[in-house]
Amino acid sequence: MHQNLPRQRARILRHPGRFNPVRIHSERDMQGRHLRLSLAPGLSLHEAMVAPLRAAGITSASTTILGGAFARLSYCVAPPDPSGKAVIAYSAPIDAGETYMIFGNATLGVAADGGPLVHCHAAIRCADGRFRGGHILPDRAIVGDRPISVLVTGFEGFSLRQSFDPETNIPLLQPFREIKNDPADA
Amino acid sequence: MTLLMPEQPGAVVESGRMGRVAYARIGPNEDLVRGIEKLCLAEGFENAFVRGALGSLVDACLQANDGSEIHVAGPAVEIVSLAGEVRSSPAGEVEASLSGVVADPQGRIHGGPFVPGGNPICMTFEVTLEEWLPERG
Repeated sequence: MHQNLPRQRARILRHPGRFNPVRIHSERDMQGRHLRLSLAPGLSLHEAMVAPLRAAGITSASTTILGGAFARLSYCVAPPDPSGKAVIAYSAPIDAGETYMIFGNATLGVAADGGPLVHCHAAIRCADGRFRGGHILPDRAIVGDRPISVLVTGFEGFSLRQSFDPETNIPLLQPFREIKNDPADA
Repeated sequence: MTLLMPEQPGAVVESGRMGRVAYARIGPNEDLVRGIEKLCLAEGFENAFVRGALGSLVDACLQANDGSEIHVAGPAVEIVSLAGEVRSSPAGEVEASLSGVVADPQGRIHGGPFVPGGNPICMTFEVTLEEWLPERG
């Protein structure tokens, strides 16, 4: 994989949908709202992240998982989609067993059905000692015996919502500037 | 050559504070490094730190210790860790330096500095930047 050849040209892939001329969709706050979150032992990554942050009034956030042990964890990789509906598709879940998460990033947002969504990628050391990485399944990652620290940057002036992206033909988290509904008002 | 002068701590220590925070979704086939630089142009950030990032690349291109390039073939190569900063020169040129870990389609991990122009985004790239406001001496 190490090559001393002249620089390879970066590949461009053709996606199934129409090309969107706007390539960067961004939103901003005048400042981030920072919290330190402890993921509670025994809960799934999804449960340990969503409920405490919702209680703190945060439903959209970017987080850094500072490393820690999981009692069990499954992840997916992203090979080409044989159906051709999209360029890639997630693989079947791979069970890594009792896993140490070396470093992870997770985004908290709102799923297409209105519920909370956690999108997490991480580097891990699997039960068998191998080093792996990929898309972590937040419902199938169970926090181990000790709390895991997370640095949270919450967003208040905009929200992250899973919405269908016609170009790639999959639902993706995207930022939307809107007045957030307070669950207490519902 | 940069000399580290203890009596001139400003040469090695830059005081400042965090400013605005921006979240972006960068679309497919955009370059990772150039995309983050353009995000700073879009948001008016002169200097920034990466505060969170995840997404996928078509293929990855990382710099090896001897200066050669490590090519990790996809698609997709998942970005599983990213740290870095964006700095602006006095002339206003914007330059991102990004280092991270990627996972190939078999889940094996590789790491290093991302080579500008060599890392096209596959499906999406989510990034949070926090503006860095140095104290002007």
